[in-house]
Amino acid sequence: MTSAVSLVDRVKGILGPGEGARVEQQKGYLEVTVDAGSLRDAAARLKAAGFDHVKSVTAVDYPAKNQIKVIYHASSMLDEELSKYVVGLATLVDRDDPVVPSLVGVWLSAEFQEREVYEHFGVRFDGHPDLRPLLLTPGLAAQRPLRKDFKVVEEDDYLKSTFEEYTSTRRWV
Amino acid sequence: MAEASGTVALPGMDVRRLERNLYEVYIGPAHPGSGHMRIVVRVEGDVMVEVDPDIGFVHRTMEKLSEGRDWMKNIPLLERMAILDACNVTLPYVEAVEKLLDVDPPERAKYLRTLLCEINRVASHLYGFGIFGVFLGHSTLYMWAFGDREIFVELADRLTGARLTHSYPMFGGVRRDMPDDFGQNVRRAAAYMRRRLDEYADIFLRNPNIRSRLAGVGVISGARAVEMGLSGPNVRASGVRYDARLAEPYEAYDRVDFEVPVYEEGDSLARAWQRVDEIRQSLSIMEQAVDWLERHPREGFIHEKFWKTAPPIYKQVYAGAVPYAGKYRVKMIPLYASLRVPAGRSFARVESGRGEIIYYVESDGKDTPYRVRVVSGSFRNVIAFKYAMPGHRLADLPAIYGSFDYFPPEWDR
Amino acid sequence: MVEMVTAYVAWHDLLRYLIFYPPVYQFIIIPGLIAALVVAIFIIWFERKAAARVQMRYGPYEISPRTGGATQLIADLIRYSFQEIIVPRTVDASIYFAAPVAAVILSLMPLDAIPLTSNPAFWPIPMDYSLLIAVALSTLSPIFVMMMAWASNNKFSLIGGVRESFIVTAYELVAVLSLLSVAAATSTYNLVDIVSAQSGGLWFGLLDPVAFLTAFIATLMTTSGFPFEIPDSESEIVAGPYTEYSGLMYGLDMGAAYIKRWVFAVLMALVFLGGWAPYTPGPGILLGYLVPSLIVSVKALVIMAIMSFMRAVYGRYRIDQALGVAWEILIPLALAAFGIGLAEAYFHVYAYMGVMAIAG
Repeated sequence: MTSAVSLVDRVKGILGPGEGARVEQQKGYLEVTVDAGSLRDAAARLKAAGFDHVKSVTAVDYPAKNQIKVIYHASSMLDEELSKYVVGLATLVDRDDPVVPSLVGVWLSAEFQEREVYEHFGVRFDGHPDLRPLLLTPGLAAQRPLRKDFKVVEEDDYLKSTFEEYTSTRRWV
Repeated sequence: MAEASGTVALPGMDVRRLERNLYEVYIGPAHPGSGHMRIVVRVEGDVMVEVDPDIGFVHRTMEKLSEGRDWMKNIPLLERMAILDACNVTLPYVEAVEKLLDVDPPERAKYLRTLLCEINRVASHLYGFGIFGVFLGHSTLYMWAFGDREIFVELADRLTGARLTHSYPMFGGVRRDMPDDFGQNVRRAAAYMRRRLDEYADIFLRNPNIRSRLAGVGVISGARAVEMGLSGPNVRASGVRYDARLAEPYEAYDRVDFEVPVYEEGDSLARAWQRVDEIRQSLSIMEQAVDWLERHPREGFIHEKFWKTAPPIYKQVYAGAVPYAGKYRVKMIPLYASLRVPAGRSFARVESGRGEIIYYVESDGKDTPYRVRVVSGSFRNVIAFKYAMPGHRLADLPAIYGSFDYFPPEWDR
Repeated sequence: MVEMVTAYVAWHDLLRYLIFYPPVYQFIIIPGLIAALVVAIFIIWFERKAAARVQMRYGPYEISPRTGGATQLIADLIRYSFQEIIVPRTVDASIYFAAPVAAVILSLMPLDAIPLTSNPAFWPIPMDYSLLIAVALSTLSPIFVMMMAWASNNKFSLIGGVRESFIVTAYELVAVLSLLSVAAATSTYNLVDIVSAQSGGLWFGLLDPVAFLTAFIATLMTTSGFPFEIPDSESEIVAGPYTEYSGLMYGLDMGAAYIKRWVFAVLMALVFLGGWAPYTPGPGILLGYLVPSLIVSVKALVIMAIMSFMRAVYGRYRIDQALGVAWEILIPLALAAFGIGLAEAYFHVYAYMGVMAIAG
């Protein structure tokens, strides 16, 4: 696919040489992996080139390699040629204390989704203006549900309760 | 607890001192005008100063559950995200997995998927209209929209066998072919709906009462909409011509003829008109798809790789040699139950009624996915609550909320 | 024979001095409490049926298909009567219970100043300023809605009460001006004289349609009729001042709105639609009191039915838009209506028709 090959070259050109970025493409999906320190710089370059919004901020947990990969899928709405492509900007962080610089300053559209990654994986975003759980209650968010070591436990159908302890406050019992 | 002068703390009450004299109103989950979410609004007088959406009341942990189910079983799971729009919601998942499997569905399957996608889009827009009418106190639009939506739900019922829970797209094709008289039903429905859209415009969009509620309310400029990452009809009503069907045409969208309406004003009225125009375009796509399907022979609604593993009784039933009902039960093709998807990562996007749904699927070669990430259009639109609402009056909250066509189950997943 | 006379006299006295005693009759029977409740039931049924006809559905149907669901409202009333009244612990209990009752009573009070017949034996309080007093009494009830909102100790109720106070400032001047423009035209405040001035077929609603229109809109504003259903707008502030009420108290609140609308409709029927006009009341209870009151009730019912139909067509306005409409459009119109009334008095319109309405 000639357009895809030129996309890889184009992205490499945007990110500049010597960045330590690995650009790989398989089955029509393009992913750029940078390290956490140069994440903001790579994002700013992508934004300057025309990738103006983030479609998704996601994280994948690799317990075998003791890493969490945080991926920003960015694309373009205003640039008609770039809107055909979705570029995944990824970074790998340590699983025990994951800290990623927040990209809210670059892409405002990442704000709520970074909160979601924070609550599900425990990844702290440095510089996020309002980092608190979005969907989950604080108690559940502390258990970092989307990590692979959180096992979903099947619940029983029978609710055990003692009837004597149930006190009624209605007046006409 | 700071004791302000003259306050009386009743038992169980939490008293704290406020920095600014803002009145905090919880438009909470048990509220007629809020849907399944809570909006924490801080008003100063009648003007909203801060709006904080507190979502997550319908969070069904679909991403986590999908890691424990087989590939095929995730389709009914993920469909419940926005059940009104079922085909649009599961289609990108199926496309992403098909990319990993290196399977391209046959032509007929693509047209069938397109047809169902458009039927669902019309039904979803009508649902949005109905809820919009309720929020503004206009019960007539609510009844009309839901009554007319019944026609499209009935069409989907005849095509797939279920009113809302279609589970129609499958890896390699669709679940079944369309009935014989489906074409004439679609044409009748389209003609009826076009007449009704004019009536909707007269009673609702051109009603001076409603126009004064909606015009100039919730204005979002094109640049701001792109910066916030909105999607769907909301961003097209702000002047940005972006549609996933145009950006990366999937299924049969590069072969049907349709326009993408764009409005410049970016206020609630433009968003409502945008949906009316999109319904019209969907009706025309439906008619074109059904024309193609009637002209071409009925073969290959599922890819050969899966079809060749089906038992011969299936082939006889689908060829019409054996009656469908009765003692010959045709169930799912057995290969799906033990499908192993090769390792890899893929990404797919589809334009659903409320926005653009994207899936990022990662597989490590097993029979369950390693990671399924889904972001729906409504989830990307939540940020508009925080940035587009402050500065308006409290009574504008339902006007803006309804015009964005939120569907809380879709953003909570 | 003596017993028959005394039985007749007893019944006659019972009817004449107890049931048809004008203050009692007008406050409780027609057009008072009982008539108001019956009208409320009928109007709610009519509202549901008319809106259903527009909205492609049936409306109340299941409960009695042959009568078109007419007994649905009776069933609703019975259900309200038996529903548990849940009183939150944080409300101000005395005002919470007293305010709806006071609102209903004050809504009905103008009826004691409105004569329903020209037979002087059946006037509730014979007075020369009945129009003025009726209009003045009709402005008393909104304060109790605000007290309801304050006593409920709920943020949504408070917002609803504040909206109610705003909308009172919007409609009150309009209602008073448009209802009093008939006094300008006929040079009298006496409702009996006003009705007999219209008995020649020259209804005031035809002579001064602007006043009729503004009075109609003002009535919609005061009783939360669409498009001005602002104090209790469901999708924004749950039920406004009525949020914390349940069971029969909630029925009372909703009833207060409909009762107020009924009282205004009776007043408008007398002022604009000629009251009991084509019919001159004769002597006696039946011809002199019952029949004219029924004629007035039918005319008021027509006005209420038109108001109910608006529900199917309009959404609701914002509070600042309603205030804008009232102060920018309706008050100039009401002043113009008053001016038209003055002009008609100047040109002796009523005198030329030979029905000069000066008593004597």
